[in-house]
Amino acid sequence: MEKLITIALLGQPNSGKSTIFNTLTRMRQHVGNWPGKTVEKKEGFFVRNGVRYRVTDLPGSYCLSANSDEEIVTRNYIAQNDLDLVCVLADASQLERSMYMLADFAGIRTPAVLLLTMMDVAQAQGKCIDTDVLSDRLGIPVLGLNASDEKAYDGLKELLERAAAEGKTLAASKLWTAMEEGEKGEEFEACLRLAERITTERLPACWLAGKMLEEDASVLRRLKEAGAEAVRPDGRGALYVSGIRFDWIGELLDGVVTQERNEDKILSRFDRIAIGPRSGPWLAFGMSVAALLGAMIVAAPLMGLGSAIPLLLNPLLDRTLGPAGVSAGTIHFVKATLVTALGWVVAMTGFVFAMSFVMGVLEEVGYMARVSYVFDRSMSRIGLQGKAIMPMFMGLGCTMGSASGARVIDSYGQKILTIAVAWAVPCGATFVVIPTLANAFFGGVGGVLVMLLIFAVMFLHIIVTAKIFGRRLNPAKQRTGIIMELPPYHRPRLGFIFRNSLMRMWDVFRRAFSVEIVVCVIFYLLSASPSGIEGSILYKAGIWIEPVSRFFGMGWQTFMSFAAATVSKEAVLGVLSAIFANSGSVIDTTMGLTGASDSVAQIAASMIPRAEALAFIVAVTFNIPCLQAVVSTYHETHSAKWTAKIGTYYVASALLLSCLTYHIAGLFM
Amino acid sequence: MVALSKVRDGEEGVIMDVSGDKRYLSRIMSVGLNIGCRVKMLQNIKCRPLLVYGRDTMIALNREEAEHIKVEVRA
Repeated sequence: MEKLITIALLGQPNSGKSTIFNTLTRMRQHVGNWPGKTVEKKEGFFVRNGVRYRVTDLPGSYCLSANSDEEIVTRNYIAQNDLDLVCVLADASQLERSMYMLADFAGIRTPAVLLLTMMDVAQAQGKCIDTDVLSDRLGIPVLGLNASDEKAYDGLKELLERAAAEGKTLAASKLWTAMEEGEKGEEFEACLRLAERITTERLPACWLAGKMLEEDASVLRRLKEAGAEAVRPDGRGALYVSGIRFDWIGELLDGVVTQERNEDKILSRFDRIAIGPRSGPWLAFGMSVAALLGAMIVAAPLMGLGSAIPLLLNPLLDRTLGPAGVSAGTIHFVKATLVTALGWVVAMTGFVFAMSFVMGVLEEVGYMARVSYVFDRSMSRIGLQGKAIMPMFMGLGCTMGSASGARVIDSYGQKILTIAVAWAVPCGATFVVIPTLANAFFGGVGGVLVMLLIFAVMFLHIIVTAKIFGRRLNPAKQRTGIIMELPPYHRPRLGFIFRNSLMRMWDVFRRAFSVEIVVCVIFYLLSASPSGIEGSILYKAGIWIEPVSRFFGMGWQTFMSFAAATVSKEAVLGVLSAIFANSGSVIDTTMGLTGASDSVAQIAASMIPRAEALAFIVAVTFNIPCLQAVVSTYHETHSAKWTAKIGTYYVASALLLSCLTYHIAGLFM
Repeated sequence: MVALSKVRDGEEGVIMDVSGDKRYLSRIMSVGLNIGCRVKMLQNIKCRPLLVYGRDTMIALNREEAEHIKVEVRA
């Protein structure tokens, strides 16, 4: 069997961890969940000299306390006996602060290396770092590198190979001496004696005793399980321990970091605008619009190709399969499923690529953190990070944009929460379909009122949805006020972001295609009918369920349209057109093989009562946005469970809204 | 000693005391704002988190929680 070496990447947020992970492992990645936790698990591989290295990208956290699921996962993993090496990252441009993770790790007997990232930024600040001296003092290899410099990675792999073979652990005896000699020395020694009962191969008594002083919940629990009572804490242990850790760091770095010249002003002119009381929100708004437009431009070629695929392939199928004796029905089936799904997926990859690229650039230059700061107050009220406003704003263009844009949210639970909430933002296609219907039913002024109603419902929906999903995804007791670093601006590595976005695009293509085909086939089977629409299962189900759907405010026609709208927004007018104007079948209009009749809205307006119409408009707007949105949500969360939960919730809430609207509107109309 | 949230734009100070639950303490310590750390207030405006600079890092802090950080303002 091939030899396997396991390495974990441990670092604070903004330490360049994901860049290193992505560059080390390239396409050989697997993203999943840590068992039983709403925490993302990223693993990747690389091979060197015939040895396979498995790299785990641990969730970014500032220290190794046990306060969040992310930190618990991280801690358990690095203390596992079979882990070969921990690669601790620190930002060279803010070395003193970012070494805190190493200081918190110190004591754990897993072999380690220290990687100093952002060496280029440190250099630009006039800092000079002597890694050899630092390595001598720590007793483990230390390497400084610039994460975007590809040539540096050979050196990194060589270092990892050597470090894994040598298995050196961090020398931290000075840390424990300082703890013993400080004002809480006696307490520390008492903790040391207690800690003997719960030591493991990787977690020695001194590390556990330090954690006991910090009143670490998980260590105290283990102590209790071992039948020992902890030293009575006074709530100030964390201050003591962290003080000693920073003293230790200060001593380590003494003479290692030399500042050759003083740095420039802290706040640049751009920063003054980005964080300004008035200019900040305006800049964020401008940036969002620019990002949306930018994403559209980047996506345009692939979106165009996506919509051209049916136009190119369908005539080709007619010309080749037709004469070859394939029946017209089969050709139609292929067109409505395979070709449609292919066109949609290509268009979708365009969007995923564009959002990954544009949001990647905004994140990388450091602007996203400023947005988080500016919108912290309003967004934290509904339990979201300030920067969640960006992906939500993208939702006005396309819900796929929200889903892929949510990658900038750094906690997995909050990421799912952001996507769930962003579905409530009506997308660009909705803004085409709904005003058409609203105008036809309610006239010009009425149409404007309907749109205002929709915006009011949107805000309400966002608040309610955030509350419902927030209970599990961002529990109130885990919520804390913002404590966030605003990283210095640096130039984006466009090439790197470009390749990364390509990777994600390929990934989404591979996974989404099969899902979309399956749904297209199911929808085809449901709506296939030998003649008219009366023969389809969808119609029969619609008629059968009409007594129920009536209660929710929709007759069978509007309900069929509502159901088809979960696949594509174009289906809203299309299905009505198929029913009322007899133009094309439900399949053709939903799959975009034929457009809706121009006068469909007017015809429908003469056939559908106005209360039902209003209920229908609200239901369609707040239903599942479309199949594409579902698939991209699945891709971004890689959780079928959460995608299904969000989907079910939206269907149920759309029906509820429809029901309320119908019965309330019925009183007046 | 004053609460960090009372420090005005551009003023500098040294953190003298931090109180709060242990969750808050470990979070605030781990971003480098421990006792003895020198900080500079970059922006302190209503309806926004505080923006401070300490240990070469710009940090946004929740305003209410920062009531519990006591600093001594120094010139």
